[in-house]
Amino acid sequence: MTARRLFPLMTPARWAGIAAGVVLVAAFPLVYRDQYVLTVIVTGLVLLVLNISWNFVLGVAGVWNFGQLAIYALGGYGAGILMLHTLLPPWLAVLGGGVIAALISVLLAFPTLRLYGIYTSLLTFAFAEIVQYVILNDGSGLTGGSYGFPTVPGLYSSLSPDASMRAYYWTVLGVVVVSTAGLAAVGHSHLGIAVRAVRDAPAYTAARGVNPLRYRVIAFAISGFLAGIAGALYISFNQSISPSAMGLTPMSIDVTMLVIGGLGTVFGPLIGTALLTIVQTALVDHPGIELTILGTFLLIVVVFVPGGLVGLITRTRNRVAAWAAEGEGTREKTAGAAEAPAPVPRGDPR
Amino acid sequence: MSATDVVGILVTTFILGSIYGLVAIGMTLIYGALRILDMSQGSMVMIGSFVGWGILVVAGWNPIVAIGLAFVATFLLGTFTQLVSVQPLMKRRHEIDFEMITFITTFAVAIVFTNLALEILGPQQRNVTFVIAGGINVYNGVNLPYQSLAMALVSIVLMAGLGVFLARTRWGMAIRAVAQDLDAARLMGVPVGKLYPLTMGLASALAGIAGVFLGGLYFASPQAGDQPLLIALIVVIFGGLGSLPGTVYAAYAIGFIQATAEVLVGTTWALPILYAVILLVLIVRPQGLMGKPSEARL
Repeated sequence: MTARRLFPLMTPARWAGIAAGVVLVAAFPLVYRDQYVLTVIVTGLVLLVLNISWNFVLGVAGVWNFGQLAIYALGGYGAGILMLHTLLPPWLAVLGGGVIAALISVLLAFPTLRLYGIYTSLLTFAFAEIVQYVILNDGSGLTGGSYGFPTVPGLYSSLSPDASMRAYYWTVLGVVVVSTAGLAAVGHSHLGIAVRAVRDAPAYTAARGVNPLRYRVIAFAISGFLAGIAGALYISFNQSISPSAMGLTPMSIDVTMLVIGGLGTVFGPLIGTALLTIVQTALVDHPGIELTILGTFLLIVVVFVPGGLVGLITRTRNRVAAWAAEGEGTREKTAGAAEAPAPVPRGDPR
Repeated sequence: MSATDVVGILVTTFILGSIYGLVAIGMTLIYGALRILDMSQGSMVMIGSFVGWGILVVAGWNPIVAIGLAFVATFLLGTFTQLVSVQPLMKRRHEIDFEMITFITTFAVAIVFTNLALEILGPQQRNVTFVIAGGINVYNGVNLPYQSLAMALVSIVLMAGLGVFLARTRWGMAIRAVAQDLDAARLMGVPVGKLYPLTMGLASALAGIAGVFLGGLYFASPQAGDQPLLIALIVVIFGGLGSLPGTVYAAYAIGFIQATAEVLVGTTWALPILYAVILLVLIVRPQGLMGKPSEARL
């Protein structure tokens, strides 16, 4: 498969624009060295990896999985245990965290098959709550219980604080770029088309010979692996992880990021995560006000801006293009329309 | 397990089951009539617990005033919630993702209420003391406090009252008509536009009263609604979404499981065990105890 086939919307100009953007972001820590700001950005990027993974299962595959934060945390705990209790090099432990999360995610995919809509979300949410309670009440000392995981050395323990901050920045940025490009490519491959077809018309797709079980399991595996990597990066960067990484509050923040950005779109998670990280950082001293604003945002976007900000941008661009085309006497639709987002994940209708 | 434990479990089941039933029956009512899962019910419990704290502790008034005021306040807030988070989306109610969108919008309202309470009232847990003292010695030291007995009885009366309201009154019958067939109800002249806010206000008011009680059993805090919401979700799934009798049975079943787990393995494991039970229920019988896959609801 060629690059053109996997990225049909990418013109040379767009490739150049995105490459320039990535280079600019990558160069940022070379000129700006404030540790606090860099910590906020790296944490935001780790969250972005998690949101990209969640967007794939929630937006693209349309499965109402609310257990993603537990998968993420399990990836983190798994990587931490591998780092402390085995001789694996840290980067292999991070990969191992991803693999553990992918396996658990696949196990979670099976019971969701018989359910639809709200029931799926409750099953996955119940799973997440159990994971959180088990870790909170774990007395064996393996996970550290409510005190959080014992300190791990992380990926770059041999570097100076300054250098390790930059190393983490580039590592996580690399994961963001690779996973965004990878999932965008998957979106236009046979796999992505099958996953979206199962979301939009499960009965019809199955009748055409596409196995829904197979594609749901694959979607859960991909998304779980990426979430596990995000958790492993979190525990490496933070040197610890605690059960508070899961639960209702972080989940509501992540859902808000996805919905405001645009569920099921390639750039939705990026826009949503960036915007809300800025809002959160600005209001860090007023958690009550911060979440009030967040909830209001969420309500307004869902009611008035279906498709999130990416949907809004796409619609505006199409309208401008149509308006410009009208002046030339043609009313052809522009290519930008193909990026229109799926509104919100769908359940299987019965 | 001794006989004392068994009696203790049954007493706890009776109290918890009645109050959980009160929260969950509202969610069932809303699901039956509007086809949405109202995630703001937890914040109504929280608001009810704060109204209870304000009236009983700060003002020092009668519990009946607290219950009445909690009813009015959460009824109005529930109506408001419906108008801002569900009504604008009603025109999309036939779309496949309607349940998901309203799940998110009502959740957004819950986030706003919870965090406004956090900002205004602070994160402290506040005790809500009821004025009814004393209790009955049921069996060999198992105490049933009068206030818990009163809470359970009021909850049962309210649930029965809801049943009578739905079966006998014009508005109640209208709600059932809408749950059965929206278009037919419209053609018969049911004012659907007024009915939806009324239904959600009523359900929220029941959750608000349950909040006064739960505040008395535990405490009032901005997070006081989280756990009741999660348990109410478990109850409605266990009972089958949209089935009122199923919800009541499930509430006592869940109360029983929680009470047993608390006695046998301790309080911290009660919720995980509930979740494990609901995981099993969803895997074995996805539509719950009395859920009907068809349209026969309420």
